[in-house]
Amino acid sequence: MGNTHPYTVLAVDDNLLNLKLIERALSKEGYQIFIADNGSDARSIALEKRPDLILLDIEMPGESGFDVIKKLKEDAATNAIPVLFLTGVSEVDAKLKGFDLGAVDYITKPFHPQEVLARVRIHLKLSIATNSLIQDQAAKLRQVTKAQAAMLPLPEEHPHAKFGVYYKALQEAGGDYYDILNISGKITGYFVADFSGHDIETSYMTASVKALLAQNCTPVYSPTESMKMINDVLVEILPQGKYLTACYMHINRITMKLTIVNAGHPPVVCLPVKGEPFLIKSDGDVCGMFSDAHFGMESLHVSKGDRFFIYSDGLVESAEDKITWASGADSLLPVYKTLRDVPYDRAPEEMISQLFGNNACPEDDVVLLCIEV
Amino acid sequence: MDFKHLASKIGLDEEEFVELVDLFITITLSDLDKIKKGVGENHPEDVAAASHSIKGAAGNMGFDDMFALAKKMESQAKAGSLENFDAYVLDLETQVKGLAIN
Repeated sequence: MGNTHPYTVLAVDDNLLNLKLIERALSKEGYQIFIADNGSDARSIALEKRPDLILLDIEMPGESGFDVIKKLKEDAATNAIPVLFLTGVSEVDAKLKGFDLGAVDYITKPFHPQEVLARVRIHLKLSIATNSLIQDQAAKLRQVTKAQAAMLPLPEEHPHAKFGVYYKALQEAGGDYYDILNISGKITGYFVADFSGHDIETSYMTASVKALLAQNCTPVYSPTESMKMINDVLVEILPQGKYLTACYMHINRITMKLTIVNAGHPPVVCLPVKGEPFLIKSDGDVCGMFSDAHFGMESLHVSKGDRFFIYSDGLVESAEDKITWASGADSLLPVYKTLRDVPYDRAPEEMISQLFGNNACPEDDVVLLCIEV
Repeated sequence: MDFKHLASKIGLDEEEFVELVDLFITITLSDLDKIKKGVGENHPEDVAAASHSIKGAAGNMGFDDMFALAKKMESQAKAGSLENFDAYVLDLETQVKGLAIN
């Protein structure tokens, strides 16, 4: 709805006289009117012209106004167009049914053209206000997306960390998060988390977690101590019911020791230079819920060229196929084997392409890190 | 019938109103043909639909007597009765044609 174009109204009534009356009253005030004398034409015009508002008679031969509004509301291209229906003064059931089907208001018949004009005006104003609110919120969410993206480190910024990443947020405020921590020259931390919820609140939480990681993942603290301290702060600051699952992997490339701290997160996959891929399972409480949380911890010696995959549950779960990460993680092991000869920085993209195809979309946010020792 | 008054009641000038009266006559006579056919074939639902159309148009134009009669016809036909419809049709036809010589 721009300022230079007239507002458009589609009037639908099987009686041509009623259509002409509406047309006269509204066109005098600068509106552009489309008319249809049956339901099928009304839907075609609505789809083609995308009017700003529709006036719809209920009682029409063939496709009734109820049939029309139902189909308009089912179609994403037309479901946001406000519909006012025209109905007899005593037809309470028809009015209620119209509202149930998504109409914003009704005009009783016989109608006064000036009343039609007044109602059209008020509903266009409401529609403009709603659209402006939506645009406003979308702009804010886009800012959040940018801010979140800026918080995610890129492989080229951390060449010594030897990692590749695939990150996809399904909504503007994604629930998945990862970070790379340069603890010292040869000691690196890799953190992957999945926040409950995908709202704006989540995006603020990711900023808090990033700050906590920077403060607590230092040579002074062991990986478990770092996670405990982060947990204790999150318990205090997270809103009621919010939590995160997380995996913190700590690699010391001098001692070749790897430590994994798991907070209710799917198991890390190890693809050794020689041998079959396997899961490193370690149970643990989620992060940010309990001050006395217990996290799973595993340590192992690693060899140069060993690879580790940390990911969020969106990679292995499917609500549609009823697969949880407990069973989904195992079933993917053969896929990791095929990534042995793919460079580590391209392995995550390759994995996603194998799992979801080039165009398919995962059901949830996905983050997948491939780290090479 | 005072077209000027009726026109001002619905926010139109007299010239526009007269144009719409011509349209009303054409549409209503067509609806009356449908009613006659429905009565002849004993199809009350067709009669109710055509009566409904006349009711809406007459109401919007401010033709109160025609609106009241068409409303009565619609209710009766919806209840399945076509009794006295010959007289109703004649009455409506007279009123509609009366508009033309106004």
